[in-house]
Amino acid sequence: MTRPIVLMFVVLLLAAAGLGFYAYHLKAKVAAEEQRLAQQSQVVVPPASGPTTLVTLYVASDQEGGLRRSSVNVALPQERSERARAILRALLGAYLQADSQHPIGAGSDVRDIFLMGSDTAVVDTNAAFADAHPSGVLAEELTIASMVTTLNANDPQITQVKILVDGKERDTLAGHADLRRFYKSTGIGQILKDTP
Amino acid sequence: MQWPRPRAVPIAAAVLAIAVLVGAGRILRDSTVEAQAPPPPQLSVYSPQTFYTVPLLTINGQPYVGLVELLEPLGTLDAKPDGKKYKLKFAPPGAREMELQFQDGKDNGKVQGDKLKLSSNFAVQNGRGFIPLSSVSELLSRSLATQIRLSPAARRLFVGNVGEKLTLDLRKGTPSKLFVSFDSPVNPTIATEPGHIRFTFRREPVIATSEHENYTDPLITGASLSEHDGIAELDVTGTSPLMANFADGGKTIVVTGAPPPPPQTVVMQTPLPQPNVPQQTALPPKAPAGPRFLVLIDPAHGGTEIGSAISPTLPEKDVVLTLARKLQHELQARGVAAGLLRNSDITITLDQRAISANAARPAIYVALHAANSGRGVHVFTPLVDPANLSSRDFLPWETAQAAYLDLSTAVAGSVAAEMESRKLPNTALAAPLRPMNNIAAPAIAVEIASPSETVEDIGSTAYLDQVAQAIAAGIAAMRGKVPEVRP
Repeated sequence: MTRPIVLMFVVLLLAAAGLGFYAYHLKAKVAAEEQRLAQQSQVVVPPASGPTTLVTLYVASDQEGGLRRSSVNVALPQERSERARAILRALLGAYLQADSQHPIGAGSDVRDIFLMGSDTAVVDTNAAFADAHPSGVLAEELTIASMVTTLNANDPQITQVKILVDGKERDTLAGHADLRRFYKSTGIGQILKDTP
Repeated sequence: MQWPRPRAVPIAAAVLAIAVLVGAGRILRDSTVEAQAPPPPQLSVYSPQTFYTVPLLTINGQPYVGLVELLEPLGTLDAKPDGKKYKLKFAPPGAREMELQFQDGKDNGKVQGDKLKLSSNFAVQNGRGFIPLSSVSELLSRSLATQIRLSPAARRLFVGNVGEKLTLDLRKGTPSKLFVSFDSPVNPTIATEPGHIRFTFRREPVIATSEHENYTDPLITGASLSEHDGIAELDVTGTSPLMANFADGGKTIVVTGAPPPPPQTVVMQTPLPQPNVPQQTALPPKAPAGPRFLVLIDPAHGGTEIGSAISPTLPEKDVVLTLARKLQHELQARGVAAGLLRNSDITITLDQRAISANAARPAIYVALHAANSGRGVHVFTPLVDPANLSSRDFLPWETAQAAYLDLSTAVAGSVAAEMESRKLPNTALAAPLRPMNNIAAPAIAVEIASPSETVEDIGSTAYLDQVAQAIAAGIAAMRGKVPEVRP
């Protein structure tokens, strides 16, 4: 056995061990990230500090197949898109309650809202919102309809809404509702009737 | 303590290195998405009422068939997995209900109390029962009391007195013509290349015997009929490019030489899943067919896309396929032609569904969904911006439905009225549901939810029958109000 061959095996062994360690590290990192996302089950609530404002929420009910109007006090920021985000987070918070009539996936949240012009809101939701959303035509339509109607009710200038997931366009919410289109608040009236 | 010999050190190091590399590879493989397996083979089933395909599963190296998938289109079925035991209640049309009983890991079962010996052990996987393909013939002949012909190698199953035999008649002349005649109209997929023209019969129960004809003709030199992979195939060979025409209302195919100049090699194949409706032939018949009232049923999801998980063992894709088959039967019982866009567990994209549906030119398109929340039946019409209404001659893809919205609403109203008259809780809504907006025909979607607190009740035979009958009655009532369409 010559010295170069022994050296070659040693180098190979070190390289293999290094690769193995790196692969193990990668797997552990992915697992930790997945666990962190799964544990994001806390109810999303808007900031509790500051003066609160009475906002209108259109909350979906799977049993009734419609939206029920309700009012809650929410601490709202001054900036318009932040206000819209706080309102939608309050709506999602209602869906994340244990006794929700329209449960959605744990950890669902609104990452950001971009206002385009005066009438269009682009709502950027997180991955959990779509990935863990119950699959079904009515269930998905109710979620979207409630978001659009709630935004329009509190900011009548917002008349059309586009929903993104993790900053990207997605074909459907959970296999059914079309997320490629802009939802107009006037069209929502065709989808659902208010059941106050 | 004794140290290993010097020669053993590099060998041990090499073994260790290989082991680490293999381990790292496994870790990385586990961390990545598994490569998609090729689609499983399927069994083509031909019965007097319908044609359908059933996926085959390989268990212990042998092909197996899902009992529910096999029996459901042939009658009413109620499967009850109970641990290792698997019981089914099966009633063929017009016959009494019988009980079938099997047990996981056992090679014998019972059909209405009589022992049935299987060629290998019955298997239960994920709550589904599977029997060996080679035992299907025995099972069906006992259950249906009819003639069964199974070709395991070709994966084709003929139930009852079905089977289409062809006759070949070469008429010499200038040019010579080969007349391929059938008892009823056929609609094969056609592929041509120099010296060959192939007819693939997927839905027609064309029986392939060992027919092979050799001709002493300057143009057509032979014809052979074979069956494989769930299809029958007729291959006609010639000394120059061949072409085909249909005659006698589709009962006869006339093969002759293609006109000069010789065409380039052309293979006419359809890249998309074809709906289970009369196909567009590669070479259309001379006489245009008249308008017809065809209802195209689209069971949502399928294959790798399971849809909603109604329960851990009951995916939406299975519920809607069952409902679709029942709806097809109900429509046909009312004299309405109906086809399925998906009649097996295959993956079809939304765009592919729309393309296939538009190519089939249905009078009405019905998408079927099932949900694990809510109650009753939801009837949806497309939600299209009325501002996008456009000419019917050229329709934008995203709003192709706009021109048909009024008719879609009328169909949905008729179906909802039938639901109401049968005391089925229902809601009629508009929804921007893909691919309805891309369909250039009156289109509705029906989503069923459980009729009770128990979500699994959504799959009960009685409930699905009731829903299928209501939809079929609502659609049949629109005949004469919705225009028939020329294929």
